Amino acid sequence: MTHFSRRDTLRLGSALAGGLALPRFAIAQADNRPSITIAVQKIVNSNVLDVLREQSNVGERVFFSSLWEPLITKNWQGNLERQPGLATEWRRIDDQTVELKLREGVKFHNGDEMTAEDVVFTFGRERMFANTEAKNRSTLKAFETIPAPRPGKELPPEIPAVARRAWPDLLRVEAVGKYVVRFYNATPDVTLEGRLSRYGSDIMSRRGWEEAATYLDWARKPITTGPYKVAEFRPDHSLTLVAHDEYWGGRPPLRQIRFVEVPEVASRINGLLSGQYQFACDIPPDQITGIERNVAFEVQGGTILNHRLTCFDKNHAQLANPLVRRAFTHAIDRQAIVDSLWAGRTVVPKGLQWPYYADMFHADWSVPDYNPKLAQDLLKQAGYKGDPIPYRLLNNYYTNQVATAQVLVEMWKAVGLNVQIETKENWTQIMARGPERAVRDWSNSAPFNDPVSSIVNQHGPNGQQQQIGEWRNDEMNTLCEFLETSTDRAKRKAAFRRMLEICEREDPAYTVLHQNATFTAKPKALKWKASPAFAMDFRPGSYGA
Amino acid sequence: MLRFATLRLGRAAITIALVVTFAFVVLRLSGDPALIILGPEAPPEAIAAFRKSWGLDASIFVQYVDYFGAILRGDLGRSMRDGRPAILLVAERIPATLALTLPALAIKIGIGVPAGIYAALHRGGPVDRLVMMLAVAGFTVPSFVLGLTLVLIFSVQLGWLPSGGQESWRHAILPVVTLGTGGAAILARFTRSAMLEVLGQPYIRTASAKGVAWRAVVTGHALPNAAIPTVTMVGFMVGSLIAGAVVVESVFSWPGVGRLLVVAVANRDLAVVQCILLLVAGTMVASNLIVDFLYGLLDPRLRAGGRAGAH
Repeated sequence: MTHFSRRDTLRLGSALAGGLALPRFAIAQADNRPSITIAVQKIVNSNVLDVLREQSNVGERVFFSSLWEPLITKNWQGNLERQPGLATEWRRIDDQTVELKLREGVKFHNGDEMTAEDVVFTFGRERMFANTEAKNRSTLKAFETIPAPRPGKELPPEIPAVARRAWPDLLRVEAVGKYVVRFYNATPDVTLEGRLSRYGSDIMSRRGWEEAATYLDWARKPITTGPYKVAEFRPDHSLTLVAHDEYWGGRPPLRQIRFVEVPEVASRINGLLSGQYQFACDIPPDQITGIERNVAFEVQGGTILNHRLTCFDKNHAQLANPLVRRAFTHAIDRQAIVDSLWAGRTVVPKGLQWPYYADMFHADWSVPDYNPKLAQDLLKQAGYKGDPIPYRLLNNYYTNQVATAQVLVEMWKAVGLNVQIETKENWTQIMARGPERAVRDWSNSAPFNDPVSSIVNQHGPNGQQQQIGEWRNDEMNTLCEFLETSTDRAKRKAAFRRMLEICEREDPAYTVLHQNATFTAKPKALKWKASPAFAMDFRPGSYGA
Repeated sequence: MLRFATLRLGRAAITIALVVTFAFVVLRLSGDPALIILGPEAPPEAIAAFRKSWGLDASIFVQYVDYFGAILRGDLGRSMRDGRPAILLVAERIPATLALTLPALAIKIGIGVPAGIYAALHRGGPVDRLVMMLAVAGFTVPSFVLGLTLVLIFSVQLGWLPSGGQESWRHAILPVVTLGTGGAAILARFTRSAMLEVLGQPYIRTASAKGVAWRAVVTGHALPNAAIPTVTMVGFMVGSLIAGAVVVESVFSWPGVGRLLVVAVANRDLAVVQCILLLVAGTMVASNLIVDFLYGLLDPRLRAGGRAGAH
């Protein structure tokens, strides 16, 4: 009989423990992927990582394409054109119905496989719509039971409103098979595929939602399909994402991505130069030259899906005459603003549209030309006598906002417009109704590749400008409804052009100044290419390649 | 004593009520939290839903009455940004802030008071001039300038210390030095002035003439009498422990109460702002009370309720 002494037992135990520990150690050693730290001005505004609550540019940066993914995605490394995401293919059943085939083998961060059930839940009442109804719903509500939210899982009130704005006529989503879903709309809509690719249409794990004790618990650590999963989120301080090694698109190239909130631009740049951060975001254009003076660093980035506008209140005594507003639009040398304040690193776009509209894009359209003589003539025709026109201004809410405003005022002054800046503290003061409201700044985005997402949503009957009583045009409103429901692409394109003519030339609601841009500084040695968006792409093939 | 305490506490309560009212009026009349939190591109129906949910659609008077009533019941409200109780959000940040302000207070007292005493005892000498030169520089240079300068030297050029964040004790060094330097300079100037005034008093000359050792004159007679203005200033610094690092926390990306206050004010997150204000007002009031009691310990005339001075 073999005897084991206490020493032998200890040796055996140590060997076993070592044997168990060694493979793990070896795995840890094998994971030599780099970790990076990204300094941003703000991680998210709403303190949650929910795509329906955090609808902001800063949110886009941390969400896409690291954390959240939609069925149809954008080509972040290209020109944002549509491409398969969590769905591999899709087809139209009719003008109101789209069927999508889901990608098989997609794993959520909790290890579950994504199925049609998760997609149906994502677009359901519990997560998205609560008790709101499709705008043109024709079926009887009485046949459907609206479940009461579970305690602690009540949606913040703005979420159903945001979801309905994104999907105004979505009736329901059905699982046709384990990997097939159908989206049913109440009205014909050619933009359904575009809406599927928009910010907020991203897929979440049903089990992840159900296992969270409260909405806040879930929203601080959502279970999604992205290449990185949330390890730790400290609101107003940091967000740590770690690699999701079961990612359907391959092994993520980074072990960890850490976003840290550094509100001061000087601190972000100092942290980058000292090597504490690998990326410094939200770099103002006037800092680019200083950073690139150091040959080891470069500033990447450029235009994003957002245009800066000047908006008009046509109820103001001086602006009621469209000739005066037209004079405003022709008095602006937009290229001078781009060259002097943006170091030429953005562009003057072709009105309120983006090339990714594809067949809806009017390549031959342009913003009103810079023509001071024409502006002066228009003011003369309008009988403008030099009465003051207030310009409500925030202190650099937008990059270069104050400097741009000062340049604009001088340009307007040169043609005879007496525009006076009134500095305000916040948007409430900017939008406050009254006879003194005349000119203000704004920016517009295009969440998906159709003018419904921009000119209709922002300047149509339900858009902010009309809702706060700044501007209204009956023909424009009729065209908005047509654009939302028509399936005749040629007629839709013609209608969009007419809308541009109304809003930018005949009865100006706004005038586009320039495309917005964002800049990110990094060491040249890091192989990474910025997307034409706020989103930062760290998927396989997008970093270190 | 009871009357003294009751009067002080009553005054403190009125002060806090005024602070709360002032903050409510200023914050609510100068911006709509719905528009600020959801942003200018938010759909109008989302803004309306947010307003209704948080009672922002009621009249400002009704909102004020509701808010004040809740405070009296001990309910400080919830953050509009993430729905959690405001007190919880603030409590989470206090340790981070104290991790900066307590060591900074130690630096202020540990350097400022001895430097002021030494300068006073060597008035007109090279050390006095050096101390005062440094004190004026420390006092006049804004903390964000000092902070960024330290980062440029110790992070960017030398690479010795991190430029921001809160990951380790090393991250606290630069913000603590930034905070401590200005305060030490103030204390050095106050202490020096107080000491010089006391050293010129007849009782100091008398004590010296009696043959008391100079060290004993300084420690037994000069220091206690010069302590009152210094204690007042230290009391003010103690009262600022919670929210006295707003700028430094921003420069060094330190997630403390100061940063929370900046973000909450910018977002018009009323409950959080009010909670911080109540905390700051409470700390300041408590600190003033302690200083009042310390006056009594340091000066027997004050202990006697001011009657000593009448004789």
